[in-house]
Amino acid sequence: MSVALATVVGGLFALGTFLLLRRDLVRVVWGVSVLSQAANVYLISMGGVQPGTHDTVPVLDAHGGAVPETTDPLVQALVLTAIVISFGTTAFALVLTYRAYQENETMDVQEWR
Amino acid sequence: MANDLVVAPMLVVLASIVAMLALRPRPRAQRVASVAGSLAYAVAVGAVAWLIVLSPDAPGAATYQLGGWAAPFGITFVVDALSAFMLTIAAVVGLAAVVFSVVFVDRANQGVFYHLLFHCLLLGVTGAFLTGDLFNLFVWFEVMLMASYVLVAFYGGPQHTAAGFRYLVLNVVGSVLLLLAVGGLYATTGTLNMADMSRRLADPAAYGIDPAPVVGLGALAFATFSLKAGLVPFQFWVPGAYRSAPLPVAATLAGVTKKVGMYAIVRVYFTVFAGATVGISVPGAAGASPLAFLAPALLVMGSASILVGGLGAIACDTLDEMLAYSSIGQVGFIAVPVAIAAAAPPGSLRRLGLVAALVYALHHALAKSLLFFATAAIRSATGTHRLSDLGGLASRAPVLAGCFFVGSLSLVGIPPLTGFFGKFLVFEAAARQFTASSGLAGGAVIAVVLVGAVLTILYTTRAWTRSFWGRRTPAVEGATVRRSQVAVLVGLAALIVCLGIGFDPVFEFATAAAEAALDREGYVELVGPAGGDGA
Repeated sequence: MSVALATVVGGLFALGTFLLLRRDLVRVVWGVSVLSQAANVYLISMGGVQPGTHDTVPVLDAHGGAVPETTDPLVQALVLTAIVISFGTTAFALVLTYRAYQENETMDVQEWR
Repeated sequence: MANDLVVAPMLVVLASIVAMLALRPRPRAQRVASVAGSLAYAVAVGAVAWLIVLSPDAPGAATYQLGGWAAPFGITFVVDALSAFMLTIAAVVGLAAVVFSVVFVDRANQGVFYHLLFHCLLLGVTGAFLTGDLFNLFVWFEVMLMASYVLVAFYGGPQHTAAGFRYLVLNVVGSVLLLLAVGGLYATTGTLNMADMSRRLADPAAYGIDPAPVVGLGALAFATFSLKAGLVPFQFWVPGAYRSAPLPVAATLAGVTKKVGMYAIVRVYFTVFAGATVGISVPGAAGASPLAFLAPALLVMGSASILVGGLGAIACDTLDEMLAYSSIGQVGFIAVPVAIAAAAPPGSLRRLGLVAALVYALHHALAKSLLFFATAAIRSATGTHRLSDLGGLASRAPVLAGCFFVGSLSLVGIPPLTGFFGKFLVFEAAARQFTASSGLAGGAVIAVVLVGAVLTILYTTRAWTRSFWGRRTPAVEGATVRRSQVAVLVGLAALIVCLGIGFDPVFEFATAAAEAALDREGYVELVGPAGGDGA
């Protein structure tokens, strides 16, 4: 599980960085949001993915069923906050992208006046 | 009582934000409420500083547990001398900037959320200075940045949009790095509360943690903080953003927002990480604490900032660009004494370094906002701030020229202005480090600080002779100086002179702030995180 998460985080960071360095403005915005999501996955994994027993998870204790892997609720609260922030930032970045397109009639960063 | 007072500045800003939204249909009332709000903020900060830190029977520090959740589980707001000192800077610059905005930014633009955004910026800054929780610090950074993104792109022209977009992308990358640091520190130490983290790092064996990753994770956070502070090699966003933001906002970004980055470095490294014992042995850095990493890194970055900022400022042909480069150099002057403090053993030199940095931060906030406001007044009088279009302003607008002169002299460091004490303390710290270590590095620091001071003299002299002396240009001949703008300038210039003459209380406040930053155990005891022993 840790190896899978580490791979995902690494992959997302690589993809985000690649997109961030493109000339197309929309790709840059994609890069920004992929990077933020990479940080969120990383944050989740920092809570430690540990196997839980089913009497530690109330809904399973009451309903039975297969035992899942449970994790730290604090990092989930952090990630929720970070998601909302990156949502706002991405929305504003898109507005700026549209504004830049209106002014320059191009999405290419290098052709900005 | 004192504990409830901690959130007062924040409540005042929140109330102003609500008032700004409610009064949108009435621009005039909104402007009045904005000035009143920033005045109330200054009063609240003054009350916090006096009742909690400065008055003879003050407790010296106070905490507020949000929602009544005890540390380390809830978010803690802490006011100690360091927070109070930084809040005071924010309050003075914020008040001056709001008043100046009312008389400078044109009325139509002021109606477009300008005051709302300004108070949001102030809210983020206040939160960052108050919080005692690492993740919460990240959140307040984002609040501050959100407002400043919009303010940088405020005028909406092509160059403003471009500057705003670059500023946004850079800071998102910075925020991601900070999140990595926060997440990693949480996984390493098992807490986000700064006091709890400090307590655990000081005695890792008792809490069953391994402090080794703290150095690298701290370096990630350090990169983000220095991006906010605009230190070399993260300085490249500064000129674009400052030139595109409205000038009163540029004054606030240079005077307050940059200081948030320096504050975070001081708080996180000196109050939280300093107690950790981690062996570091890489070329150029060796020691037993994360401070051993901070010292050489910050020293090199600060010295480079002084040189890059100074050399850049000499070559500029507009006043606002010169001020933007100058602020890169001046932040270097704040970073270098912090680095000296990090390199010094605990004791008087370490304290002196922090005092020098804090006094310099105060001086830079005042002088740089005065100069930015003066540039704004010149622009609204003459319609330009290109050095080549200006000349002979000194005889055309003597009071404005006098204020610019005071700001420039303070930046250069002429007694009895505040800038003199800032420079003096930085030089004293550099000299004492030289005598303590007498190595090549100590000599190089003194040389860099000296070159930086000479560069400051060069570019301020150049700006002065080009725009205030010489023959009057047509733009200057037809200038109409607005008295209301000059009144704000005179107020700030008088404050710089008065604080310089009556410097003793400022020095004592800064000393108390430096001691608060270094008093790791006092900070832990104040917040009083519970539980976790041996867990």
